[in-house]
Amino acid sequence: MPTAASNVNILVFACRWCGLIGADAAGRRRMELPASFRVIPVECAGYVEPDAVIRAFASGATGVAVLGCHVGGCRFNDANHPALKRLELLRTLLDATGIGGDRLLLGFGTAHEYHQWADTIRAFHEHVAGLPSMKSWLPAAVATGER
Amino acid sequence: MTKIGVFLCNCFGEIGGVIDLESIRKRLESDPAVDFVTVRESLCMPGDAAEAHARIRERGIGRVLLGACSPYGRMEMVRLALVKEGVDVRTVRAADLREGCAWVHGKDPAGATRKAANQLDMEIALLQNMRGSKDVAVGIQQEALVIGAGPAGLSAACGLARLGFQAHLVDRGTAPGGMLNMITRVYPTDVAGPEKLAALVEESRGNPRIRFYGKTKVASVKGYAGDFKVSLAGPEGSTSLRVGAVVLATGARILFPQGLYGYGKLKGVITQMEMERQFASGKPACRSAVFIQCVGARNAERPYCSTICCPLSLKNAMRIVDEVPGAKAAVLHRDIMTPGSVLEAYYRKALHKGVQFIRFDADRPPEVRGDGQVSGVEVFDAISGKTRTIETDLLVLSTPLVADPESAALARMLEIPVDGHGFIAEVYPVHPVETRNDGVFICGTARWPVSSDQAIAQGEAAAVKAASFLGRQTVSALAMGRVPGAKLGHAEADAGACTGCGNCVAVCPYRACRLQRTGNRSVSRVIKVRCKACGSCVSVCPNGAMQIPEQNYRVTGEMIRRAFREVR
Repeated sequence: MPTAASNVNILVFACRWCGLIGADAAGRRRMELPASFRVIPVECAGYVEPDAVIRAFASGATGVAVLGCHVGGCRFNDANHPALKRLELLRTLLDATGIGGDRLLLGFGTAHEYHQWADTIRAFHEHVAGLPSMKSWLPAAVATGER
Repeated sequence: MTKIGVFLCNCFGEIGGVIDLESIRKRLESDPAVDFVTVRESLCMPGDAAEAHARIRERGIGRVLLGACSPYGRMEMVRLALVKEGVDVRTVRAADLREGCAWVHGKDPAGATRKAANQLDMEIALLQNMRGSKDVAVGIQQEALVIGAGPAGLSAACGLARLGFQAHLVDRGTAPGGMLNMITRVYPTDVAGPEKLAALVEESRGNPRIRFYGKTKVASVKGYAGDFKVSLAGPEGSTSLRVGAVVLATGARILFPQGLYGYGKLKGVITQMEMERQFASGKPACRSAVFIQCVGARNAERPYCSTICCPLSLKNAMRIVDEVPGAKAAVLHRDIMTPGSVLEAYYRKALHKGVQFIRFDADRPPEVRGDGQVSGVEVFDAISGKTRTIETDLLVLSTPLVADPESAALARMLEIPVDGHGFIAEVYPVHPVETRNDGVFICGTARWPVSSDQAIAQGEAAAVKAASFLGRQTVSALAMGRVPGAKLGHAEADAGACTGCGNCVAVCPYRACRLQRTGNRSVSRVIKVRCKACGSCVSVCPNGAMQIPEQNYRVTGEMIRRAFREVR
């Protein structure tokens, strides 16, 4: 099994009703994307708790993207709206801790916007690739995988 | 813990051509949670499901992981085929190796293989840690409450009765009919309002399945889809009902044009409703009439088109021309909105009868002339570019329908949202007569300005939707998703861990979480019928007391941990 060489590890929380369908549509059109992201399907962006984002950074992710429906177009009425506020608040916390708020991406698009999905992933990959390594300040036990 | 059987699909080279399935197979086989790994050429061809099921039965495993195409492709078909063979649907998970991996990382086989391995690993974590939501069955009361007995409500009640359900029809007026009772001629068929509804009123009277409550208001509604507890306040005191569904048909009001175009200052400036009253009491005493459209509508405050005012003015202008000898009629409009073949023909009929149409710009509205009594209108004709003066002794203002504040109060009681103008919001865009609160349906102008014909059609639609819900007799909470079978589960509150902070109550988009007093503290309780498993409550709970068993914190935590396992 080859090991990852890149410092770009993006964890994507994608809602099952918009983000994930966009990913599927991008796949059908065989849009070439960097293989640096992993996807956790969720029912709604509202499910993603700030704690999960922080845990993702602690588990080796160097970028986290939360992709849901358009604000105002959420399948669960307006559930993604408070989620957006919550995660924007988390961004300030990430800035304060030194992880950097720009490692968290919030994206909103509808199911058919596969171009947006592809552009979002590509642009975020480029962005995270340009950031300094996170390994330097990870706790030693985590950095070496002995947790 | 039951072990997991993994089927990897080569998809005739579509997946295997990019991803190294052999190395993934070896890696998965070293996982103690995995019983067997089978790489197959396909999973969706005839006979594949039977063969897969034979293997599952032979190994006696309880959980299945499929590594194949996306869940929106043929994967769902494969899952359903396995379910048909007798495998429990909840124990089958799929990792997207084709659309989400092979097809988007075709130029990076090593990266794609790494990603595929991680995604399969994450799904294994899910299968190991997921639990099933406990389902509850709710008995559905075989009766419905219809609020408002205008065209929409009347047609909804009759529709429900025809389909075999008891309908309780409530109205604040003494008799059914609503706003149509005041209208002596209804476009486009030109019959009187009460005549238009006569068939429905006749049907509702003496129908044992329809009970009409006149001069009655809804005092309170509690409960949820299938079992609403309703209290009515009528002239004979209060009545308690238990109904399975509620149809809202409370209608709208007409904007009162105070201060616009000299209304209230000049004699002879009236509203469309006052015009109707003049017709009801005989011929209007005027020599000519001018109608101004979009009064207080299609502006910054009310950017919507009220849809009924253009045909209404056409009807009344034609009536003036027909009934008052020698009278002329002019309609000052911004656009004539007459969609469909019937209304377009109605517009042409008005043109043939000699009704004059003058278009004005929104930023150059007509100016009213007169002293005490209206004497004329000066209007800049946007098409000819000339200013025209029309002499008239009657000016009729077409004002839009606006939301009824009583509807807004009812919406609050029923926990359904209203839009920016106070109209009740439907579930946009594919559920036009349904609301956020399951079991509550809407029709007529409470939802949006519509003609009486459309209101009647919407009433029928709401009746059919309500009946298809009531007809189920009992409903399982897990089946209450909008898409059948698509509900993940429902949130469960751990009463021991809950501190009663109420975050979940505030955030739930379906008002499914409630604080319940037990002893000397409050704990959250989830109304499972309402819950749609979005997980909003999970993310705001400070104590981890809220969980969706299918995707609980162990599942998510372990999936996060495994996402980039080999890089740590």
